[in-house]
Amino acid sequence: MRVPSHATPSVKTRTVPTVVLILYSLLLALGLGLGSTYLVLQGDPPFGSLRVGPWRSWPAMGSANADPYMRAILAQRSEIPLAIGEGLGFTAATDSEGRPLDSACTYRVGSVVPNARLWTLSIYGPDGRPPRTELGRSSFTSAEVVRDEQDQFTITLSRILHDGNWLQLPAGGPFTIMLRLYDTPGATGTGLTESAFPVIQRVECGA
Amino acid sequence: MRGFSRFLIATLCGLVLAVGVHIVSILATPHLAENDAFAKIRTLQAGDKAQIISPPGAQDTWLPFPDPAVAVATCAYDLREGPMRVSAQTGANLLSFSFHRESGGVFFAVTDRAAVRGELEIVAMTARQLDEARAAEDENEPSRDVRIVSPEQQGFVIIRVTAPTESQRRIAEEAAKAVSCVTEQGE
Repeated sequence: MRVPSHATPSVKTRTVPTVVLILYSLLLALGLGLGSTYLVLQGDPPFGSLRVGPWRSWPAMGSANADPYMRAILAQRSEIPLAIGEGLGFTAATDSEGRPLDSACTYRVGSVVPNARLWTLSIYGPDGRPPRTELGRSSFTSAEVVRDEQDQFTITLSRILHDGNWLQLPAGGPFTIMLRLYDTPGATGTGLTESAFPVIQRVECGA
Repeated sequence: MRGFSRFLIATLCGLVLAVGVHIVSILATPHLAENDAFAKIRTLQAGDKAQIISPPGAQDTWLPFPDPAVAVATCAYDLREGPMRVSAQTGANLLSFSFHRESGGVFFAVTDRAAVRGELEIVAMTARQLDEARAAEDENEPSRDVRIVSPEQQGFVIIRVTAPTESQRRIAEEAAKAVSCVTEQGE
């Protein structure tokens, strides 16, 4: 008595799900595959990053050896990278102690930069645009920055006026700093040690 | 139990296929993206001069993270019509060319350090056009062109001119606009 009553439901459960299982695995494949692609494209390239203190760079992005993730991300952002022969760009989204950059705080950036024909230090809002501030300036170049007797400099990032090299931060929210070294002998990634890069020091918050 | 193992196999199949879908979609993105730099550059009016896409000051540009101290200009090229000659007069400010493929990726870059007598000139061509140019060349008078081979028929040149100070921005923009990109008709 028991055997047939047991067999009948098992036959039923086997015939119905086959299609369902195929559909399930296909949906799983599409969902996970496209979902992971979407997530990767929103972020930074997962491989090939060069990390010097708070500064990050992807030197291969501007070369013929850019990996498929870099190419996909560049295409998605409609970005044009600096080529390796032109220079190297570094991004910082945190201070030197790893805390995210916040425009409510005051930062001091300095005092050295790796050897380059020209460097620029610019700030950007979360949308990748230079912030529109009353100061009307969002970057310093190596030619503009005021230096001390030791040939070192300090740039103050803050919402309120500071003497010396000052960049005004936007009213609120996170921001990023980009340091671009143009025509640098270090473009290949050699000689770029942390001591050659500017330190991003958080002075105070919530002023 | 049996139903569970079938479910497990289906999940595994789904995961393996997901890896495939991920790889294919990542590889396809540069070709399918409708908003990539090449697509935007191609809509610019073609001419013999480079066109500004990011003026110094970094306002009014679609380029993400524009450098306010740099003028960025571009020429799109299509080598099916013939080799492309890009030439610029160099000045005191850093000027550089980078050659980008349609599907993304830089294949050549040069700065004004390579300029000869204040002029930087590069000819981009396909491998076939290079062979033809070599064959047509007079042995006693070898060409002085700097020739580079483009891996793809289409692409774009990016010209960057820096403006170290704000007062030089106008000069930098003019210098970037003055770069000529001429398609050479095959003989």
